[in-house]
Amino acid sequence: MRRVAVIGVGVTKFGLHDRTSAELFADAAGDALTDAGIAASAVQALYYGNVVGGETEHQLHTGPQAASVLGIPSVPTTRFETACASSHAAFRHAVMEIGAGVSDVILVGGAERVLNVSTAESTEYFAYASDAVWEQPLGLTFPGVFALIARAHMEKYGTTEAQMAAVAVKNHRHGALNPKAQFQKQITIDQVLRSAYVADPLKLLDCCPFSDGGAAVVLASEEVARRHRKPVWVLASAAASDWMLLGDKRDLARVPATERAAAAAYRQAGLGPTDVDVVELHDCFTIAEIVATEGLGLFEPGAGGRAAETGLTSLGGEVPVNPSGGLKAKGHPIGATGAAQIAEIVTQLRGEAGPRQVDGARTGLTHTLGGNTATVLVSLFGRD
Amino acid sequence: MTEPVITARAFFERARAGQLTAVRCGSCGELAIPPRELCPACHARAWQPVPLVGEGTITSFTVIRVAPRAHAADAPYAIAVVKLQEGVSILGRIVDIPLDKVAVGLPVRFRPLGAQDQTSIGFGPLG
Repeated sequence: MRRVAVIGVGVTKFGLHDRTSAELFADAAGDALTDAGIAASAVQALYYGNVVGGETEHQLHTGPQAASVLGIPSVPTTRFETACASSHAAFRHAVMEIGAGVSDVILVGGAERVLNVSTAESTEYFAYASDAVWEQPLGLTFPGVFALIARAHMEKYGTTEAQMAAVAVKNHRHGALNPKAQFQKQITIDQVLRSAYVADPLKLLDCCPFSDGGAAVVLASEEVARRHRKPVWVLASAAASDWMLLGDKRDLARVPATERAAAAAYRQAGLGPTDVDVVELHDCFTIAEIVATEGLGLFEPGAGGRAAETGLTSLGGEVPVNPSGGLKAKGHPIGATGAAQIAEIVTQLRGEAGPRQVDGARTGLTHTLGGNTATVLVSLFGRD
Repeated sequence: MTEPVITARAFFERARAGQLTAVRCGSCGELAIPPRELCPACHARAWQPVPLVGEGTITSFTVIRVAPRAHAADAPYAIAVVKLQEGVSILGRIVDIPLDKVAVGLPVRFRPLGAQDQTSIGFGPLG
């Protein structure tokens, strides 16, 4: 495999927008191309993440739609859909295509628009990522899936609601340093614990928001990347899946797909969890961050709650997690999230993250989870 | 091509009559619910349907307070993962148990739920 680098990144502000998802993507992609200092004519493919466009915008065929709105209609393009991990799956595909020598420059990104519909509607559409025959008819929701995981984690390891709240407080503290974040204000443990239950034991402030937004990254072969400033190298990109049905998951307190994708990524890169300086991971709910830090090997199973509570995952801590604010504070436009996490790690490894910079970060990790934990992508990044 | 041992439709027809059904692998003995094409343990295609007793215990649960549109009128309601006495687990709606009594380890019994001509999996009190 040839070496692959990220040479440009772009992210819109996340939150409420009066623009289509294709417009949001195009905005981010224009910024990514400018950041890379590369002409749009050099782009040989577009791989695109979008999840509920069919529901919220009555828009399918979103790959060419996004390419057309951007103004590069003739490149081959495909929409990837792996629920919330969609643009990370698109990214892995591009890494393999450049690595295999098929293309030299690929644009990867994603976008989502959901704030144009009601919360009840978006709750229903997100639930489509669970099984339509066996689970949706029960009224299972996305927060419900992670509430079941949270309860299992609390039973098995003694994790507390206060430890989960510590994740939210930490990510809001980080998000307050990110001008692109949906929420740029700090919150307290007390505010989280006093917020209303959405799906017990998860409360409103344990949950990431619904968000509109777009993100894009430009990938290039080593030969092209060497002509650009500060290439950030893709050291690994791995995917894993797991059973769709919650009843089939042997241990709800763990996410086997995270463990498998992480093991594959560490093996590809010849690295281990202790080599990682900065992490952007999938904190769609506070418990999701705790379980992910364990699955990635940053902490032992059951130790993730305590790690959050004692500041090990804060900026300045042992291994800073979600310096961007994470999905919790930065926001979670689901089709854009994977690409946005990669953009943050690239920014960190370039040393350009300003007040939220992790000092001296050389190796970064992104982790994106799809829906009911049945899809996980993990990628590793390094700088020269 | 082989006929499926039990389709989802047949599963729910039996469920509507009060019978929870799993499949057992004729090759390695693995038990699975709901039915699937290949045995996940040995990849054989030799399932036999087996009736389950329908009793189990709650291994995790949640109370859904913000519901999808189609279930908004039911909220709040409990959903639980139930480990059946035969060893397999399945997700179901908890009914006829007060929400503050739903707990991990609570014994429950299968009960078919019907809404809009659709049968879904419910669990109620054992007694």
